[in-house]
Amino acid sequence: MNTVQRTIRFTLNGEAVSADVPPHWNLVELLQNRFALFGARESCGQGLCGCCTVLVNGTAVTGCLYLAALVDGAEVVTIERAADGDGLDAVQKAFIECGAFQCGFCTPGFILMTRQLLDEKPDPTEDEIRHYLSGNLCRCGAYPEIIEAVRRAARMRKSTS
Amino acid sequence: MAPFELLEPRTLREAAALLASGDATVRPFAGGTAVMLMMKMGVLRPTRLVSLRAIEKRYSGIEAGAGGTLRIGAMATLSTLERSPVVRKEAPVITRTLRTLSNVRVRNVATVGGHLAHADPHMDLPPVLIALGATISTVDAKGGRTIPLEQLYSGYLETTLGRGELISEVTVPRQAPRRAAYLKCTTRSVDDWPALGVAVVLDTASENEGAVVRDARIVISAATDTPKRLGAAESALRGARVDDSVLRRAGDAAASEAAVIGDEHGSAAYKRELLRVYVVRAVRAALARNEG
Repeated sequence: MNTVQRTIRFTLNGEAVSADVPPHWNLVELLQNRFALFGARESCGQGLCGCCTVLVNGTAVTGCLYLAALVDGAEVVTIERAADGDGLDAVQKAFIECGAFQCGFCTPGFILMTRQLLDEKPDPTEDEIRHYLSGNLCRCGAYPEIIEAVRRAARMRKSTS
Repeated sequence: MAPFELLEPRTLREAAALLASGDATVRPFAGGTAVMLMMKMGVLRPTRLVSLRAIEKRYSGIEAGAGGTLRIGAMATLSTLERSPVVRKEAPVITRTLRTLSNVRVRNVATVGGHLAHADPHMDLPPVLIALGATISTVDAKGGRTIPLEQLYSGYLETTLGRGELISEVTVPRQAPRRAAYLKCTTRSVDDWPALGVAVVLDTASENEGAVVRDARIVISAATDTPKRLGAAESALRGARVDDSVLRRAGDAAASEAAVIGDEHGSAAYKRELLRVYVVRAVRAALARNEG
């Protein structure tokens, strides 16, 4: 059985990188163990909570259920990539202004998913927001503030575009 | 997770050949969301995973053929299916079902073929596609075959696929002019695994006083070990003008005929009562839709 590490090359937050990975590692393990990126974190381990959200080729995936070896050749973006130059983007600002978190553990996933939602639907209804974010859990229960933050971010993005 | 060897064949035939050895520890891997979960839990310990992600692109496509028949490549992701304009046009019940199927990230990665072949009875698309009359095509070393989707399932997490046999394509007849609905009952939160799923597809002749059912297909999931058609409930509707007493007979027939099993989402007794109620609601929901 050839279970030795393989070398993968991919783009990580805009930079070309390579890494040696065991075939059974998931994407979160790759980011944490090889690149010291801890924004995507495994929480439920089952794809339900969204704390491990990572973008692969522009699409949100569940990092803890994604084999690391399969990002070979892909473009990977994590929460660590500055959204807007060195500053915060509309979604991050809106989450701060609305107090849309307490402990912050789930926040990277919520931010990345909200960006995806607003890219797809710049002016989502509350129903669309709730459906889109149903795979992200906030155990502090900041849901009302999170929904308000998504609406606020939508308005901010509209006024600057 | 235990280590394994990861293979990435370039063609579906090559993948099927790699899986044909008869070694049960060599497993296919499509989107991998279910396989990763099972490996993490330790219930699946493969020595080799055969990834299907590098096979021919045509197995990821979705197109509508003659008469609006949908041809869905097994490697199409659930998100591709959800966003497909031809699916929305030819079988809108599929588009509606996907909205509450797992979550966005899982739909972005999970594939149609994997969703069907996993054979977890809590999945949403099997009852919907069976009710619509879908067939699947498979590929193996000897060639392949085409079977009605309902013949894929033989038990809890068990299918009639042979070793080295992979689903290549799903064919779904156009929904219209039939009316269709899929309802599921989740007992903890809206995005939970269902305690019961009910798919209803009705061929109706509309008249002034209401709908007369020419034909009915009712398929349930999550409450039985495999997706199951409910013949007695279908018979209660067939040829009838739908009113409260007809609906009650259909619900009662469903509750008596189904071999309901309990799980962590509800006891068998509870699910049987859900079934009595949800068959009625699903028929009403199908009739309320005017998308033929």
